[in-house]
Amino acid sequence: MGGLPKKAQQLIGLREKKNMVLALDSGGLLFKDEKIPADQTQQLTTTAQGIVAAYNRMSFSAVGVARQDLAAGLDFLLALQQKSDFPWLSANLVRRSEGKPYFKPHTLLTINGINIGVIGLTGNQGSDALPSEKDSTVILPWEDVLPKQISLLKGRSDMLILLSSLPAATNRIIAEKHPEIHLILQSGSVSGNLAPERINNTLITQVEQQGKSVGILEVRWNRRSKQWEDDSSKNLLLEKKNELDRLGWLINRYRKQGDPKLVFKDQPETLAAYEAMLAKREKMDQELSRLLGEENARIAKRTQLSSFNYRFEVMRKDLPDNPEVRAIVDATTNEVNRLGKMAAKARSAAGIAHDQMFFPENYAGNSVCQSCHSPQAEKWRNTKHASAYTTLESKGQQFNTQCLPCHVTGAFGQPAEMVLNLAGDLRQVGCETCHGPAKLHAAQPHSNRPGKPTMEICLRCHTGDHDDNFIFPEALARLRCGSL
Amino acid sequence: MLLQRPAIPMNKSSLLLLALFASLTLTITAQAVDKKTGKTDPQTDLREITFFFSNDVRGETEPCG
Repeated sequence: MGGLPKKAQQLIGLREKKNMVLALDSGGLLFKDEKIPADQTQQLTTTAQGIVAAYNRMSFSAVGVARQDLAAGLDFLLALQQKSDFPWLSANLVRRSEGKPYFKPHTLLTINGINIGVIGLTGNQGSDALPSEKDSTVILPWEDVLPKQISLLKGRSDMLILLSSLPAATNRIIAEKHPEIHLILQSGSVSGNLAPERINNTLITQVEQQGKSVGILEVRWNRRSKQWEDDSSKNLLLEKKNELDRLGWLINRYRKQGDPKLVFKDQPETLAAYEAMLAKREKMDQELSRLLGEENARIAKRTQLSSFNYRFEVMRKDLPDNPEVRAIVDATTNEVNRLGKMAAKARSAAGIAHDQMFFPENYAGNSVCQSCHSPQAEKWRNTKHASAYTTLESKGQQFNTQCLPCHVTGAFGQPAEMVLNLAGDLRQVGCETCHGPAKLHAAQPHSNRPGKPTMEICLRCHTGDHDDNFIFPEALARLRCGSL
Repeated sequence: MLLQRPAIPMNKSSLLLLALFASLTLTITAQAVDKKTGKTDPQTDLREITFFFSNDVRGETEPCG
């Protein structure tokens, strides 16, 4: 994942090449999960504010509200909306009592003479209740709100777009029932990018999660017909032509030895098969003529239809950063780490523990492991695990509680306060990350054997989000400690 | 078919000049409309627009390290 500065530079570069660019986001940009731990609220909401500042700089035109965006509470998002230069859209996140939406249900944008109506729908998958406002807030089913929004916008817009964090299957149903919607940009956890798929007159597309790619859809839109070009008849024609070619080739094989009626006069079954093929070819010829006529009519009408090209651009590490968004991200990172540092200092000042060093229960620490397993420790020192925390330090992220668990040992499931004050011996991804807590093993080596690394352990950090290339058997072979 | 005689008599070069002027006026008008509306294909009313879209940044401004 390249991050927001690279995404911003791609968008600005696109705007330099094309005049009419509209930036839209279908949601899920502020938080990873639907709930956030109370002790991480400050850091996570600071990051969320930084993301909105970056989106402001990128001049996004609209953003959908997904459930993850509500993780810090509805009030937080409503307040953040005031700082957003773009509208947050949700037609179905409403006050339970009046059924009135908290956010704008839609927005109307005009670009290159095209009036574009954009509607937002919040996904209601997951737990039934919203994190904190369950008594006053409800996510209505899309069927209850979408028809009204469509009828409100239909006469005023040349094109209708839906920003949806509903499940992909639901979006397909929407496309089938509402061909008035021309484009659905969906949000959700999918691996890989989804190329635009046309269902009736609706395109559905999605970029992969976590900002690893951005989607670019170049449209030539006819405001009058509002119809996407249909490639299916062209494909069918091609298919039939290939079928006919194959049939012609088979017929020619029968004719190689002369007139089949003479050659196969004593083989009635072969002759019957030959004649059946001739009849089939005649039928196919007629069908092909009909399809060709339809295709020609379609080509004549083609100027009336709308077409598109698309591409997904991966936010590679080598892409340039946008300096202004880089400055926003750096300021956000500094603030997040300042908050973390303050929390760490507060704990030591309060004298909660006898010193600053925190050892999770049953952990021994790397130096204890190394005292008996020096060859293995030597091998470990040459792995990236051995410098995982140092990498965080070099990026100024060593007080970021979102980053820390994957760069230290024994931090998963621990309160932020503890993670921030972890003993030096547990900083880096040490032996006990893969083998589990080893305090008992250190005390009684023979009766308490440490665990073996499992794929589940590795996948806590080497997820598709962070490490596309992770293959467990390959990693195990590469990092294997050898005989103990 | 009989051609109607013009009300004002006009020689061949005047007619050519008028035709040229009319054609020039039409071109200038069409260009002005094109620039103003951003219409990419005036004959078919096809208009270009590019969508830049993303989702699920998931609370990350950039990788941790």
